[in-house]
Parts: sequence; C-alpha cells; structure tokens
Amino acid sequence: MDPAWIISLQLYLPVLFAAGLLLPIPALSERKVAWIYSATTSCISLLMTCVVFWAFDWSQPHVMQLSAEVPWLPQFGLTFQFGVDGVSIWLVGLATFLMPVVVLGSLLEVDHDMRAFHFWLHILEACLIGTFIARDVLMFYACFEFSLIPLLFLIGMFGHKNKLKAAKVYFYYSFTGSVFLLAGILYVAWFHFNQTGEWNFEIVALIESGQAMSVTEQCWVLASFLAAFAIKTPMWPFHTWLPLAHTEAPTAGSVDLAGLVLKLGPYGLLRIAIPLAPAAAALFAPYLGVFAVLGVIVTALICWVQTDAKKLIAYSSVSHMGFVMLGLFAFDGGDIGATGAMYYLIAHGLASGGLFLCLGMLYDRFHTRDLREMGGLAKEMPMWSFFFILFALAAVGLPGLNGFVGEFLTMMGTANSPDGVLGWSFAVAAASGVILAAIYMLYCVGRLCFGPLKLPEYVPQKEVFEAAISKRTFHGMSRREVMTVGPISVACVVLGLYPTPMLSSMEPVVQANTAAVKAEIAKLHGSPEAEVEVAEFDTSGMEVSKQRLYNMDLMVEPIAGRDVRAEIKQAFGTGSISYSGSADISGLIAEVAAEYQAEREAAQ
Amino acid sequence: MSSLLALSSPMLSHYLLTGAVLFVLGLIGFVSRRNLIVMFLCTEMMFQGVVVTLVAFSAFHGNFTGQTFVIFVLTIAAAEAALALGLVVLLFRRKQTLDASAWSSMRG
Amino acid sequence: MGNLAVILIPWLPALAALLIAVIALKDKLQKLAAPICAGAVGASFVIAMIVWMNLGGPETVDFYNWIAFGDFRLGMSYFLDPLTMVMLGVVCGVGCLIAIYATGYMKGDPGYWRFFTYVALFIFSMTTLVMADNLVLLFLGWEGVGACSYLLIGYYYDKPFAVSAAKKAFIVNRVGDFGFLLGIFLCYQRYDTVQLSVMLEAARHNVEMLAAGAYNPTAADLWIPFLLMVGAFGKSAQIPLYVWLPDAMAGPTPVSALVHAATMVTAGVYLIARCIPLFELSPAALPTVAVVGGCTALFAATIALCCNDLKGVFAYSTVSQLGYMFVGVGALSTDGAVFHLFTHAFFKALLFLTAGSVMHALAGQLDIRTMSGLRHKMPVTCWLMFVGCLSLAGFPFITAGFWSKDLILGDALAYGLDHNQLYLFVTLLGVITAFLTAFYTFRLWFTVFMGEEKFEMGDEHHHEEETHAEGDEEHDHDDHHAHEPHEMPWLPMNAPLVVLAIGAIIFGVLGYKLHWFENIIGYSTANPVTVPVLDLAHHGDAHGDKVHHTYIMGMDPHNFMIILSSILAVAGIALAAFFFWINRPLTASLAKTFTPIVKLLENKYYIDELYDWMFVQPLKRAGGLFYVVDAMIINGLVAFVAWIPAMIGRGVRPAQSGRLQGYGLGMVMGVAIFALLIFMAVNR
Repeated sequence: MDPAWIISLQLYLPVLFAAGLLLPIPALSERKVAWIYSATTSCISLLMTCVVFWAFDWSQPHVMQLSAEVPWLPQFGLTFQFGVDGVSIWLVGLATFLMPVVVLGSLLEVDHDMRAFHFWLHILEACLIGTFIARDVLMFYACFEFSLIPLLFLIGMFGHKNKLKAAKVYFYYSFTGSVFLLAGILYVAWFHFNQTGEWNFEIVALIESGQAMSVTEQCWVLASFLAAFAIKTPMWPFHTWLPLAHTEAPTAGSVDLAGLVLKLGPYGLLRIAIPLAPAAAALFAPYLGVFAVLGVIVTALICWVQTDAKKLIAYSSVSHMGFVMLGLFAFDGGDIGATGAMYYLIAHGLASGGLFLCLGMLYDRFHTRDLREMGGLAKEMPMWSFFFILFALAAVGLPGLNGFVGEFLTMMGTANSPDGVLGWSFAVAAASGVILAAIYMLYCVGRLCFGPLKLPEYVPQKEVFEAAISKRTFHGMSRREVMTVGPISVACVVLGLYPTPMLSSMEPVVQANTAAVKAEIAKLHGSPEAEVEVAEFDTSGMEVSKQRLYNMDLMVEPIAGRDVRAEIKQAFGTGSISYSGSADISGLIAEVAAEYQAEREAAQ
Repeated sequence: MSSLLALSSPMLSHYLLTGAVLFVLGLIGFVSRRNLIVMFLCTEMMFQGVVVTLVAFSAFHGNFTGQTFVIFVLTIAAAEAALALGLVVLLFRRKQTLDASAWSSMRG
Repeated sequence: MGNLAVILIPWLPALAALLIAVIALKDKLQKLAAPICAGAVGASFVIAMIVWMNLGGPETVDFYNWIAFGDFRLGMSYFLDPLTMVMLGVVCGVGCLIAIYATGYMKGDPGYWRFFTYVALFIFSMTTLVMADNLVLLFLGWEGVGACSYLLIGYYYDKPFAVSAAKKAFIVNRVGDFGFLLGIFLCYQRYDTVQLSVMLEAARHNVEMLAAGAYNPTAADLWIPFLLMVGAFGKSAQIPLYVWLPDAMAGPTPVSALVHAATMVTAGVYLIARCIPLFELSPAALPTVAVVGGCTALFAATIALCCNDLKGVFAYSTVSQLGYMFVGVGALSTDGAVFHLFTHAFFKALLFLTAGSVMHALAGQLDIRTMSGLRHKMPVTCWLMFVGCLSLAGFPFITAGFWSKDLILGDALAYGLDHNQLYLFVTLLGVITAFLTAFYTFRLWFTVFMGEEKFEMGDEHHHEEETHAEGDEEHDHDDHHAHEPHEMPWLPMNAPLVVLAIGAIIFGVLGYKLHWFENIIGYSTANPVTVPVLDLAHHGDAHGDKVHHTYIMGMDPHNFMIILSSILAVAGIALAAFFFWINRPLTASLAKTFTPIVKLLENKYYIDELYDWMFVQPLKRAGGLFYVVDAMIINGLVAFVAWIPAMIGRGVRPAQSGRLQGYGLGMVMGVAIFALLIFMAVNR
C-alpha cells in the first residue's frame, strides 16, 4: 500500500464509519446494534493504527512520515497535508486506543439517540486524529476547532443534570480562545507571504520564514496561540470550564476530554507555537512556569475538599497538566522536560481515562458520584477496586506505573532548566505537588474502596442491574467492564516499566522543536550554550573563529583536578571546546589566547 | 446642473435625473407610508427608477447590456409582485389590517 | 546464566505476585497462594546466596533500558556488592521465614491470597531497592515498598483506623520522598548521572580530595545529603517523620514484622550507608543524622515506657532502634549500622511474630493490661519472646543486639572523643536509651508472661472473628472461640521463630568478633572514605581497625561501652522485674502519683494532634478557600468577561425596532453615508 494511503485511511475511516450510522437502517437505532457496530468499527480503526505503527520507520522518528497531501485551493496555498512523526504517532495511537474502550464503557449509560452518540464519537475521533497528524496550520486549526462540535453534542445531549450549561460554557470558552489562534495563524501566514511572496500554510515553512519575526511580533503570536492552547490544556487559571464539563459529561465524554482533547493544547504548543516564536517562548517561560506551579498546588488542594468523585478527578487533571506545562517550558539541555511532558500526555490520558471509566461504572450502578454516599466497595467489588486503585496509584505517580515517568522527567527537566527560565524553586514547588497528589488520591480511594461497606440507597433499574451485577459478574464487574479497563491497566504497567521506545521516538521530535528556543535562551541568559567570541584572539593558522561552547564544568574549577587553562589552550589547537554553566569565561579565554599567541610567536 | 436642464433635446443626464427622482420618490414613499400595498408599490417605483437609469446607460454606451438587465429585472419584478401581493393578502388575513407597524415581533 | 540469576532475585517474587493474582480468580486455587509466595521468596534467597558466593567484586548487571532517550539513560540495572548481598540475605531470608509463619497466621482469612500477593510484591520492591544501580531505580523500589506498605497496613480495609493509618503512612512517606526526589535531581545536576556506581566513585574521589584539603564542596554537595536525608527519615521513621510507624501496626502482624521492623523501615539506613561518600562531602550532614538518630532513639523509648499496646511497644522500640542505626551511620560506623540492621531484623521479627502468636491466641487482644502470666498457656512463645527481649534489651555477651548496639555506641563514643564533641552527647542519648530499652522490653515481657494467670479475649472486631462470621469452612482454628489461649503449632508457625531466635543469639558474637560487617562494608560503597571530614585537623586512620587514639578511663572506648551497657541492661531488666513481676501494686500506685507524665507519654506527647493542627487542618482549609476562590473569583472573572458582550448587545438592542420602515430608513442612510464618502474620496 502506498504510505500516503495508510495515513489517509486512518483519518477517513472514522468519518466513513460515522457516515455509516446515517444509513436508513432502523436497527441501527437500537442500543445493542449501534453499540456493536461502533465497537467493531472503532476496533477496525485501532487495527489501522497498528498498520500505521508497522509502516512507520522507527529509525528516524523526527521525520514526518507517511505524508499525504490533499489540494483544497492550491492557488492560495491551501493544501491539507498530513503525516506522522515520533510524537504524533503515539497520540494517534492513544486516540484510536481509547475509542473502543470508550464505546465498550458506555453501553449502559447512554440510552437514547444511539446513532447520534456513536456518530459524534466517531467524528470526535476523526477530529483528534486530524489534529495530531496535521502538517499545515489550516488543517490543524480546522480539526482543532471542529473537535468542539462533537463534544458539544456529547455533553449537551448525553450529559447529566447541568448538561446544557456545561456544553455552552465549554463551547464558548474554547471558541473564544480559538479565535485568537486563528488570528495568530493568519498573521503568521501573512508574514510568510510577505517574506516569500506566496501563500503557504505548511508548519515547517511558516516556522522557517517566521524566524525573521521581531521579538514583539513573536510575543503577540505566542500570546494568541497560548490563548487557545492554555484554555484547552487547561492551564490554571483558565481551567474553570473543565470541572463543569467533566462533571456533566457522560463517561465517554469525560474520557475523551481528559484523555485526548486536553492533549491538543500542549501538542499544539510544542508543534507550532514554540518553534514559531522561540524568543517569545524563552521570555514567557518563567511566567508560564509560575502559573503551572500554582495550578499544580492550588488545584491539588482543591481536589482534597471535593465530594464529587468526578470533579475530584477533573481537578486532578488540571494539576497534572501543570506538570506538563512545566516540562514543556523547561527547555533544559537534554530535553528531558519536554520529552517527559509529551510522555505525560499519554500517561495521563490512560490513567485519568481509566479513573473516569471506573467512576462511570459506579454511576451505572448507583447513579451517584458523591463520595460521602459510598464506601468500602472493595468488599463488594474487589475487581473494580483493584483497577481503581491501580489507576489512582498511576495518577499519584508510583514508580513502575506510567504516571511516575512523566512526573519525574518533567520535574527533572524543570530542575535542570537553565538560569532565568525555570529552575529549582519551580522544581521544589512542583515536587510538593507530589505530596498533595498522594493526599487527595488516597482520600478518594480511602472513601470509595475502603472503610465499612456503604452503598447508596439508589435501586438500579432492572435492566441495568442485571447487566452490571448478573451471574456474568466477575468479582463485582461484568466481563464487558473488565474488557473496558483491562487494556488500559495493562498499558499503564507496560508504559511504566518500559517507556523507552516511546521516549526515544519522542525525543528527536522534541529536540527539533525546542532547538530554536534553546538558542534564544543562550542569547538571553548566556547559558547553558554560551557563544563566546574568540575571533578577536584568533592567531594565524587557527581556523577557530567562533566557537560553540557547551558541556563542561568550568565554573567549578578544582573539580576532579581539571586544568581549565590547558583545556582552553588545547581547544585553540583542535578547534573545539565545550563549556557549560553560568560563569563567564570569556576573560579567561582572552587571557589564555594571548598566552597562546605569545607561545606561538616565540616558537616561530 | 442648471445648464443641463437648459438644453432642449433630452440628454443622458435628463434620463438619469428622471431615474433618480423616481427612485427617491419611491424611497420616500416606502419610508413614510405604513400601508403594506403602498409600500410595495413604492418599491416597484424604485425599481422603475433603476430601470430608467439602465436603459439610459444602454443608449449612451450603444450596447444592449443595460437593456438586457432591464428585461431580467422586469421579469423578476413581475414574479416578485405576484408573490409579494400574495404575502400581503396573507398578512392581511392574519391581522385584518394593512398597517406595517402591526408586524413588529422582530423587535430586539 | 549469572546475569539471569541476578535478574531473577527481584523478578521471581514479582512473577509470583502475578501468578497468585491470576490463580486467585479461581476460588479453589487460592490456598496455593502461600506456598507460591514463600517458595518464590525462598528461591530468591537461595539464588542470592549462590550469587554472593560467586561474587568477586562489585558488579553491575544490566537487565534492560528502563527510561532511555537521547543522552539520558536509566537502566533496569542491578548493582551487586557485599552490602547489597547482606541486605538481600535479610530481605529474602527473613521474608521467607515470615511468609512461612504467615501461612499459618493468615489461614482462614478471606483475603488470604491478597495478603500473599502484596507480600510478594513487597519483596520485589525491596529487593529492587537494595539492588538498584541508579537512584531512580532505587526510588522505584522505595516507592514500591511504600505502596505495598500502604496496601498491607490497610489490609483490614473495613476498619477505619487501618485505612487512615495506611493513608498516613503513605503520605508521611511521600513527604520524605519529596526530599528524595529533589535529591535525585540535584545528584543528576552535580554528577550528570544518577548511576550509583559512577556517582559514588566521583564522590569518593572528591572526599579524598577534601580530606587532602584540595577540594571545596559546591552548594550541590552541601545540599544533596540533606535532601536524601529527608527521604531516609521518612522511610525509616525518624523525627520528625516517625508518626506513621506506630499507626502502621494496624496491619497484620507478619506485616509488622516484615515490613515495619525487619526490612522496609531500614531502607533509610541502607540509603545513607550506600551513599555515605555523598554525606561525607557535607560537613553538617552526618552530625545531623547522628543527632536526629540519637534524639529519636530516646524519644521513642520514652513513649514505649508507657505504651499499653503489645505491638505498639515493639513499634516504638523499632523507631528507637532505627535511631541507633542512624547514630551508627552518622558516626561513620556504617559497619555498626548494618550490623545492627542485620541483628535487629532477626530479633525484632521474632518479637513481632511472637507478639502475633499471643494476639492470635487471644483473638486479637492487644492491651497488655489485660494479660498476665501466660507462660503456662504458651510456653514456647513465652521463651521465644524471652530470647527476643533479651536481644532487644542488649543482655550482655550472649545476645546479638548487645554486640551490634555496642559497636555503634562504641564507635560513636570514639568518634566523639577523637573528633567531634557533639558525638559525646549523641552517645549519652544512646546510653540512656539502652537503659530504657531494657526496662520497657522486660516491662512488657514480665507483665504478659509472669505473675498470676489472667487474660481477656479480644473483641469481635478482630479479623479472626470475621473469618468465622464469613463461614469459611476449611480453616482449622475452630478452637478460637474456646476461652483458652493455646500454643501455636510447630509448623508452620513456631519453627520459623526458632530459626529467628537462633539468629538473634549467634550472629552477635560471630559478627562482632569475626569482624564480618567490617569486611563486608570494606568492599562496598558504604565504606567511609576517611574519618576527619567533620574535623579536618585530625587525619588519623582511626576507623579501619578500631584502634582509637583517645582512651576513656584507661580503656578502649569499645570496651568501656561494653561494660557500661552491660551494667545498664542488667539494671534495666532487674528494675523491670521488680516493678512488673515482684511488686506490681507499687507500680500501680507510682503510676497514680505521676499521672500527668504517664498521661503525656500515653498520648505520645500529643504529636499527632500537633501535626494535625499545624499541617493538616491549615492545608485543608486552604483547599476549601481555593475552591471558593476558584468558584467565585476566577469563575466570576470569566463570567464577567462573558458579560461584557452581553451588555454591549443589550445596549444596541433598541436599534432593532422591528419596524420595516425603520430598517428601510437605516439602510437608506447607510447607503447615503457610503455614497457621500465615495463622493468625497473621488473629489478629493
């Protein structure tokens, strides 16, 4: 198969399947039939993803692969282009992986407008895939924006008590941000037109020409992008739509929201905003870091006083996304932070998705999410408790499960962040979030799973009851339910014990996207990659003109007995020297250069 | 303007002036009258003002573009008259009046 | 083959845990849980011992790349040196014995398989902890044992106290982990790696330079030990993070023995011993460790004096003994600390398990005020516990606890005499603690086993009762409801205890006289580089062969300490015998006289209440406040922004009159203005 077809199919299949639901077949309106249809089709999409994974060349993950182009209005440079690289392939994988899970999990909850429900689920999947594989900003924007609509319907039609308000707030809030995003995109495209004389919306091209933007322009562009992405992520204090939307959404909506839609923000930042406006990103990073840290701590404390289990998990998502933002804007030398942030997207998608699914199962049974009404479920539903505790521990960041790797790497990146960006104070504050996470998660687990058995007074409908707690039950869960959360839990463990493949395919992409920022930071703060002019000390016969200096502990002079002077001197001969740290060594270099010159002259 | 009026044989500007006067009369009628039928007739008058202008330009430029347009406009005006009068009759049946101010439910 | 064996040491228990969880889905197979668990742990022990015998020098075994990308690499790699092997011996050996004991102890419990899954997982985490080649993998084990401890403390999850104790343990440990994590980050910044073998080598080099006066510690060097220390204090229950350990006794007794006495709580000691070069770089670090250890030892011992809970006494004594170990590492006597860790694992496991037998026999009764003269009912348990108590009390010459404690105190004293007077104070704390330990240990033993026979059966809240209520047909403890306590069966319960008791006796002389631990430490990273870090004026090689320059009262400090603590231990035991065996009425009246003090001690100095008032409540109130701020202010701002366009709309609404003429007029005027503008533009 032509590689371009693979990725196109991946995008079009969900749309086709959604269209299939519109066929005039009355049976499709029935709960079971629609469910089976949807489960089957989403599994086919998942298989398609396996094909994508197979066709992807893992040896060069930083290259956009399996690219396809669909001309739209070529005379205006409007061409939809898509492809996958080391980061987006995993996010596509997460999207198609969560889809069958979500379908499986919502058999009982949704009992009307079956076609509409599954239709919008498929459309949402297509939008998410489209956003992740977009290679041009227009396609990105179109899919990013259109993902609002399926969720609007999923929340507004199938949500709980306050569903209309939640849907409205979610839509307006996100839409307002997106308007700024569109403005930013248009400005950047117009800038590109001015530079090159032709319209082109390809991200790579825009980034290339965008280098010429002044810092002020970059700041405005980044601000406009941030308006959309910070709301979507959501970053404290732009998060208030999230708890409402999560609480009112059906389980499927919550899982897709937490697991996938929130990921659009950080992904967009890494893919478009940061490389497009590197100088601005370097300037903004400390302020964003402050918001991220505040978000981590404040929302974690808020979690602790929640009585609605779903709201608790929703707030915890805000807290976790604070870690992602920290890592993303750490810009440390080894890209540990940003790689960790991208990994954390996947990890959080799985863990919080699992938690929402578990809570959905409770809601199916008891029609309540109030922590005060339930307790001691480990006795009646041991299997459920097992999964719930597993996901909770993953969310808390227990090593060996996936949450830890992300949390650890983002915090490590924050600590290693160069001076003037983030740094130790941020790392310390974020690490205190680790304590708070344990507090609120264990509070939730302790309330739900442990303690004396306490069941709410709700008597389930007969049908629901039979399906959930029939003879097919399996230590308190039905087979369907085990199949729903089972794969996620396996993924949590596997990714926690062996994250290397994912991380090592993400890292080159991240590095390519943050390289410009790191250069800007070096210009701003003089570290860690300080460019020191040695040209003026140049002597005849030396080809060293301008040296890029990095990675050497010169500021700690006596360490391990390194002779700095000798090393610099040698560097004049060989043409390479590495240096890192905040100390300014240009004076030392000048001194040594003079010495070197004198020696050479003496020799001649 | 006065010099144009002084000329004996009609020129382009005369036709244009006639068209403009017709249009403005129709406009004033549309804005000031409340009777739906009269308002409708006034819009027809505005149409005729435009039509006169078009024909005048057609003659002035020596081609048929303007006149072709006129044919179109007249055809559409005829069709529209049939529809609009029917609507007016419907509206009259609803409220037993032709006063346009009776229909103000679109007020913000 | 060799590598595979090493890898199997931690992963065998992990596989066992998985296997137990899978077979437990079938009710019939659930009773296989115990043999699988004990077998796997035992196999790990055997493998570990074989590996040890074939171990030449320190060795690194790579399993796979755990977290690796770009230049960053954390391997699932294991580092083997004698220190690791000792720890493995303790973890797997004692773990296996306790698992065998638990086979009987947990019989009939509805969560039988669950218990053994957790234990197997615990052993996996603990072995990973002691074998880890990098700090992050160590942290995996570190958190893993924390999570298993959480699950095991909360094992009786329908008891609210157990649940809150479990939560408390995890959260307090997290406070320690906070420091540990930051310490890892700082290590990475300082050494560009967190691989222990590489990092410690560099640190060792720096310590040598420091001793030679050629190195100036960086800020990172000064901070790293303090951050790691926070983690160690959390895991090993030292002041101020000790509060979780006494509550942790809510778990089943074998857990208290395994997790909260023998293995997990010693992880902090292990961490400091392992990373001793890092600590030597910071002049204030080791004295801090020693002082905190000394204070904790004394503090916990005073609480144990008035504790009326059978397991509580041992819990506080564990805190106290861990304090000794910290004094040991703090005085650069890593061999003493590891020695004490080793012997403590035996006698404390023995004590907990015998306490468990008593508890088992009395249907969950824990209050020692209700017990007396049980020696006739449970003779084997009585004398096994006697051995444990002797060892804990440090009865001179024949017990292991005596020798290991004296090694620590002697080293601390010598260090204080030679280098740093602060250590004399620490030694004093230790000596007082030694006396108190002997007293409270035998207070418990005399109270429970001597005197006239008297006992009350436990209440129905205990799990045995529930077992009966659940109606498990297969259990063979039908005589629980009989109103007579009874001796435990030899297999599987008493036999492992005998092994532990033998260990609690013989390892002392062997360890002390044959210099086992000195030799072991000498080939590991825990070998301190040089003594006079804290006091650069002295450069003598005082440590290596236990020759000290300074003598006290004409004696070598170690010999002095042996004599002193022998006297104190015997005196403590005698005093306890007098008060709690011979003349009990006098004790009761004395307790009445000193009611306020007794009250203060019984309430553990009100530290829990203090913490609640200082940390928990303010944080919770902050959470409530933030929630209100979130809902009112932030959401209010958002609503305000949304309100602006609404208001503008309302302002321009009258323009929409609903009158046809109005719209017409508006249109005309618009066109007119537009035309005028064009006209003006053309005629400019």
